[in-house]
Amino acid sequence: MNEYLNQEKSIYLQISEMIETDILRDILLEEEKVPSTNELAKLYSINPATAAKGINLLVDSGILYKKRGIGMFVATGAKAQIRERRKEEFYEHYLQAILQEALHLGISKEELIEMIQQSKN
Amino acid sequence: MSDFKLVCNDIVKKYGKKEILHNIDLEIEPGKIYGLIGRNGAGKTTLLSVLSAQTPATSGNVTYSGMQVWENQEALDHICFSRELNAVSAYGPNNLKVKDYFEAAEAFFPNWDKEMAKRLCKEFGLEEKKKISKLSKGMMSMVTIIVALASKADITFMDEPVAGLDIVARDQFYRELLNEYTETGRTFVVSTHIIEEAADLFEETILIKDGNILLKENTLELLERAYHISGKADVVDEFLKGLTAYRIENIGRSKGATVLLNPGQELPTGFDVTVQPVSLQNLFVALCGSDTASGM
Repeated sequence: MNEYLNQEKSIYLQISEMIETDILRDILLEEEKVPSTNELAKLYSINPATAAKGINLLVDSGILYKKRGIGMFVATGAKAQIRERRKEEFYEHYLQAILQEALHLGISKEELIEMIQQSKN
Repeated sequence: MSDFKLVCNDIVKKYGKKEILHNIDLEIEPGKIYGLIGRNGAGKTTLLSVLSAQTPATSGNVTYSGMQVWENQEALDHICFSRELNAVSAYGPNNLKVKDYFEAAEAFFPNWDKEMAKRLCKEFGLEEKKKISKLSKGMMSMVTIIVALASKADITFMDEPVAGLDIVARDQFYRELLNEYTETGRTFVVSTHIIEEAADLFEETILIKDGNILLKENTLELLERAYHISGKADVVDEFLKGLTAYRIENIGRSKGATVLLNPGQELPTGFDVTVQPVSLQNLFVALCGSDTASGM
């Protein structure tokens, strides 16, 4: 939750990704309350409507749910769901970029696979 | 609350023969923080003065919740425009002390929050006994910020509140503004040149250029249709066909441009170009930096 925001993508997307990452890292636990939009707004000096947009994205995908009059909570199963979705996005977000860079550099697929196999972790 | 709009219709403002504001229509809705951005001399301060009835419009009218604002105390009770302070007034040096200035504000604003003014003075490290004429530029900004926040007015206009403030004090201001906004839902219209820092505070952005409102839009939605495109010049040219491009730059075979899509329009796909998001500041420079946009 304490990452710096950058200009690379929309602030509300960064807010929702940060909360997701905190769930993956057990900084936020399932069935636990997440910070309110006003708290997030003050922490990042952003408009509360922007923070709310990030939170609502997670509500729509079932990662968070609303308890009336209390706030937003992490849903049971949220961690598994985030991991599943990020796996699906792994190709698009990471592999495609690697393949494009490899193409520019003239690195063949075989060389790429070789690199992966030789890497330590 | 939805009726408590500030609406201006067809506002023209001339100083002598020079027309500063050209037929401006604008609606300020309650419960939002607006950013007002524009270059020096674009008409920001004049617009704020007219909206807050501190300066009469040459023609057109401003209403709050349906009431005329000009010389109408009932409407003015809800509006605060905390002007930039100067060391010198029309009558010589500004010898008023900070606390005298706050007392005048207390008499003027029906909901003045004395405790808040005191607290903010302490937090900004501002001495109430000092004369306005002896304050630094940054300290004068602090006084105007305190008046704006403690006025508790439903619609509060702030004209370059962070001018001359160091980065720590600016950060303090942004937090205080958000604090006040989240607690009360008051409406703020804030003009600034430090766009990069404040962009994320603004639910809506109003861009004024040469006395015209160039755009007024939800900041997130505006940025979602703005991109920077770069790559090999002929590929970029092909890509830009049918799009509106600003601030086109060439270096050798390389070309870059800022694109503002029309609402609903999509970026073409399948081109070997780099597509990057654009910050409000970069978009501002692209829109205001050059005189002409090129539709290709």
